Order: sequence, then structure tokens, then C-alpha cells
Amino acid sequence: MSFGILSPDPTPKTTTNRDLPAMVDIDDLKDRFLNMEFDSKGFKLDAQRAIKIAQATGNELPCYTDPKHPQLQATHALLASLASGRRLPIDFPKLGGMVVDGGKAVTLSAPVPLDVELTGRTHLHDIYDKTGRSGRMVFLVARMEIYGPDETLLAITDSRMVIREKPTS
Amino acid sequence: MSISSIADVEFGAQLPPFTPDTSLKNVRAFAEAVGWGGGRFDSHELARKEGLPAALVPGIMGMGFFTTMIQRWSPEATVVNIDTVFRAPLLADEACFLSATVTDIEEEDGLVELDLTIKNAADETRVFGTAKVQFSPT
Repeated sequence: MSFGILSPDPTPKTTTNRDLPAMVDIDDLKDRFLNMEFDSKGFKLDAQRAIKIAQATGNELPCYTDPKHPQLQATHALLASLASGRRLPIDFPKLGGMVVDGGKAVTLSAPVPLDVELTGRTHLHDIYDKTGRSGRMVFLVARMEIYGPDETLLAITDSRMVIREKPTS
Repeated sequence: MSISSIADVEFGAQLPPFTPDTSLKNVRAFAEAVGWGGGRFDSHELARKEGLPAALVPGIMGMGFFTTMIQRWSPEATVVNIDTVFRAPLLADEACFLSATVTDIEEEDGLVELDLTIKNAADETRVFGTAKVQFSPT
């Protein structure tokens, strides 16, 4: 099940900063979207697929590869895959430019079990920009918190999307 | 030799080398298991049609290679955090070289921090990041 953020105006505002071309106002995006949960879903991680993922990365630890292990669990790579794709609120403005997968992070609080009902809740954790020689890049960090059946926080995955803005002139 | 205690960890130490399998067959198996089968992770031809030089190794597979390397070094430790930056793509069927260096040791908390890098055969950094590894209290 997904929940979009209700916002009356999905149109991006522009800044008048004279050092930069007209572009999305980062502070405005933060005000409207930061830390607001926009997706919540229940899912199970399939054990057979999880084992294949572990094996493909060369991992031989039984807790990732032995289906009979009492603590069979998801690898970090599998958890990171959950945070992939364009994960943004449905009314998040189109910023233009090319969206690139800038990286992933996984923080474990406890082993994430397989074939068990889990809940993932996602919000935009950070929005920032950097300006370099080739122009400005906007970074969006979507954070998914993964909870176990008893609502215990098991893991956090961060997905960094990088958008290189198109110059307006 | 694998590390079982934080007391055995040395600042500045390099983890033992680990050569990951970046063959197209293995990359395809990973991508299919993740649910990304087909396209740029499946075939050089399809990737070239997308304007890429060859089939890509998914960025998160690089993260998987790092965790494997760390857990071979210390099977008892837990990778509590790993943060990877995908600077440029890794290509399937091309060799890549992982390195991990101990950059911090917090003995009281049982935490070790590592700097991570994946380079290609041209010695270009493709993926880099950090990891925090938790050891049991001694």
C-alpha cells in the first residue's frame, strides 16, 4: 500500500540566486517533503532468492546461504535493492536532468529474517545540492526503515539519487 | 587468518584481497535474483543498445562484494553499517579490485571503521565507501 503526500502545488519554485541558473529551491523542497512518510508497504523477502544473491557475491556464511540455518537472514545487498528505483513522493516535482543512482547505505539494528512479514516505511531523509564545474547537482536521499512483525526496527536503507540540473541558458 | 577479536585488528591494516566474480553469467544471476533481470545487467548487446559500453555490474552487487570481503576477514563480526558511493559503473566480464583499510578502532564499543574502494583494471575508482564493523565485547 502506498501513501502519497498531499500537497496543493507540485510545481517547483525557482530561486533567483544570481550565481546559479533558475532552478528548484532546495529549501522549499525541504519544507514540503523532508521527513514525511510517503510509502508504507508490507512484504516478505524470499529465502531462495536471498540465498542466490548471497552466493553471487561470493558470500559463503551459513547465515546467508544455508536454508536450514536458524538465523537465515538477508544480505546487505538484498536490503539495498529494496531502496532502488525512483522512490519519491507522487507529487514530488520533476527537476529535469538525468537521475543517477548515486549510492546506497544499509544500517543494521538486527538480522533481517527471510520469509517473514516485514514492513518498509519510506521518507525523504535529506535533500541537498552541490555545485561543481559542470553545474549543480541535487541529491535526494530516500530512507526506508524496515520493521519486523513486532514493529521492531531491523534495518535502515538509504538510496541517494543524484540529479544533474539542466542549465536554463 | 581471519579476525575474531577487535584486539587483533590493527589500525591501517589492509583486509586480505578478495577477487569477486564479475562474469556476465554471475552478474545476470544476481540481477535476476534481485528482480532486475533483462537489459543492461543481462547482456552486453542490450547494454550497448542503451548507449552503455557493456553490461553493467549493479552498484549494490559491489556493496555485496564489500560485505563478503569483510566477512571473510572476520566471520564473527557484524557489518552494522555500509555506505557506498557509485562513482562510475563497473562492467561485467571485466576484472575489478577491492580494497578495504582499517581507519578507526573504538575498542570500548567494539567498533572498527573501514575505507572501501573498488577499482577497475585501469586503476580508476568506480565505487568507494565506508563500513562500520561490530565485534563482540572481549
